[in-house]
Amino acid sequence: MTGPPQDRPGESPGRQGGPPPFSGRQPRAVRSTLAVLEEVVAAGPGVTAKEISGALGLPPATTYRLLNLLVAEEYLVRLPDLRGFALGRRAARLALPAVTTLPTAARGVLEHLRGMVRWGVHLASFDGGQLRIVDPDPDHPPSDADLLARYPQVSALGRLLLAEQPDWRALVRDLRTFTAHTVASPDELTARLAEVTRDGLARQCGELRADRGCLAVAVRAPGDGRLVAGLALSGPAHRIADPDPELVEALRDHARRLEPLLA
Amino acid sequence: MRHLPSLRERSPVHGLERRRLGVLDVFAQSVSGAAPSAAMAATPVIVAASAGGATIVSFAVATVLALLVAACIGRFTRRMAAPGGLYSLTAQGLGPGAAFACGVASLLGYGLLCAAAVAGASTFLTVLLGGGRRVTVAAALVVGVVVVGLALRGVRVAARVVLLVETVAITVLVVVFALLLAGGSLPGPGDVPAAPDPGLSGIAAGVLPAVAAFIGFEIATSLGAEARRPFRTVPRAVGATAAVAGVLYLFAAYTQVVGFAGTPGGLAGQTEPVLVLASARGWSWIPTVLDLALSMSFFACAAATANALARVLFSLAREGVAPRALGRTHTRFRTPHVAITSSVPVAVAAFAVPVALGVPSWTVLVALLTLATAGFLVAYLLVCVAAPVFLRRIGELTWPAVATTAVIAPVLVVVLVAFLSGSPRAAVVLGATALLALGWYGWLRLRRRDTLDGIGVYDETVADDVLGRAA
Repeated sequence: MTGPPQDRPGESPGRQGGPPPFSGRQPRAVRSTLAVLEEVVAAGPGVTAKEISGALGLPPATTYRLLNLLVAEEYLVRLPDLRGFALGRRAARLALPAVTTLPTAARGVLEHLRGMVRWGVHLASFDGGQLRIVDPDPDHPPSDADLLARYPQVSALGRLLLAEQPDWRALVRDLRTFTAHTVASPDELTARLAEVTRDGLARQCGELRADRGCLAVAVRAPGDGRLVAGLALSGPAHRIADPDPELVEALRDHARRLEPLLA
Repeated sequence: MRHLPSLRERSPVHGLERRRLGVLDVFAQSVSGAAPSAAMAATPVIVAASAGGATIVSFAVATVLALLVAACIGRFTRRMAAPGGLYSLTAQGLGPGAAFACGVASLLGYGLLCAAAVAGASTFLTVLLGGGRRVTVAAALVVGVVVVGLALRGVRVAARVVLLVETVAITVLVVVFALLLAGGSLPGPGDVPAAPDPGLSGIAAGVLPAVAAFIGFEIATSLGAEARRPFRTVPRAVGATAAVAGVLYLFAAYTQVVGFAGTPGGLAGQTEPVLVLASARGWSWIPTVLDLALSMSFFACAAATANALARVLFSLAREGVAPRALGRTHTRFRTPHVAITSSVPVAVAAFAVPVALGVPSWTVLVALLTLATAGFLVAYLLVCVAAPVFLRRIGELTWPAVATTAVIAPVLVVVLVAFLSGSPRAAVVLGATALLALGWYGWLRLRRRDTLDGIGVYDETVADDVLGRAA
């Protein structure tokens, strides 16, 4: 059974049924909306509607309407007291993740793993809810970085990130099909992500390119266990389907070694 | 940078499937809760009995009232998502006492509407199948089992089934009414004096049953935590349901009023207007189609109200007001399975037991609907009064919010009083319920003061939802 169009995740609200035409009044509304977003960032979490309206000189009713709109679209969230606002996870999509330079010790760990296996070894960071390859394997370059960032559901690294979300739909724009193996049904993806959580191992088998697959494990902060990065091995699709346990163990071992170096 | 208020690691309503339901699923719940197709066939004649020539005006007024109630509910649902629905919203404005009263009224409303819907579905099934009391009781049990199964399996599946069923029922009704309307009015004895102007009091008396046709339209509120984009989807679903139901009722009322324009006494003089119109044109197939559509509509209503009823219980249980066990959720289907399996059978019994004892099923159905309406009116009144208070508390009060409540609250009080004085039996049952509730409230107040103060849990923003918090 195919779901109704609304059920396709990532279809952004404005795009349902074609883009609405701009009326003469709307540019001002757009400007005010952006100002409200900016004010929430500037004032910090917990800022109230009254404070925002006062700071921007916007009429209160307009401010409330814009705030409710931004909450409905999940760029903002209401804090539990229902008065204060903070940036929602969706707002992460508005920012580019900061560039991080990898510590030399971490590079050493990656080089060690690259020396052990004949597969591609890549490290990705998940800063701000976005996947970014911070150390691609020079000998086995990964797929296009923008593609990986845009479609986290088709890469093993992206699945690590999605499995950490309360709802993966917040970070998935569009369940695009790349190959015959691409998981494109929301329910199946939910099941795959549950496997990632259960096994602590994400995998993808010919879903982005028919002949390649990858395995990835999380690099977590030693203190609170939050997800900071992902370490991936990419190689021939048929080997991913039935990975060598020793290989997986080496991957896990190197991820553990990276933990104190990256958090 | 200011200090971020402490956030929980997980929502107090965890266990339900958070943020899954699409727009259509949520909308389907509300439309089925209002069961417009059943009301289209049954209500105009009841309204006409009081309002006479002003039947259509009465429906128009009732539609405006429903839209105003939807606006009040929207003030909350744009800002918070609560599986407990109306009572959790009331808690944010009026505090624990009013919230508790609203919770009891919601339980009464949803529970009896569920029972009435089971009653409707099995009564019309009995008419279709032919048969007596035993068939009705058996049908009620079967409907109950299917409803429980659907509710357990999860709202997504239930909503799809319910949407399909209700769409078919509404389409059938609209087609039937359009055919009847195209036929013009029935030939009468010739010059019929125009119906006497019922005056304001007539319109008011007609508004009462017309409002009752809308009950259940806000049922989507209870899916707040489970809707994908709750702050957008839920208020829209509730408002759109009030509007769609209003249009359907006006159309149905117009068709029936026109149909009997040439008949002495008009629509008010009829008992089964749709069937009379149909048989006058020689369309013998209409009754069968109608019975089928109505039983489907009632079935959809039962399924939708079962979901809402279970979530109100679930929410009360999470707070400790109702037994804790009712707050458990199924690990796989992520539905409040204990609340479902313990509440729906009670609703089925509320219909099946009196029928088995010999009370005519139609009488039971009407009594259940009447009482359910009383429960809904109390809950609507409380939530409408709570809306501006809530907005003031969070510092977002605007004049439209005050104006809406200023208009709707006195009207709801009048409607409720008129309703109770018009049906003394309902007043007695409602009074007894209020006494029981008062006892329950007193006990909680003495023994579980903290529990009562914590009433009104909703799907709070948790640490993971805030950007920069988890990282």
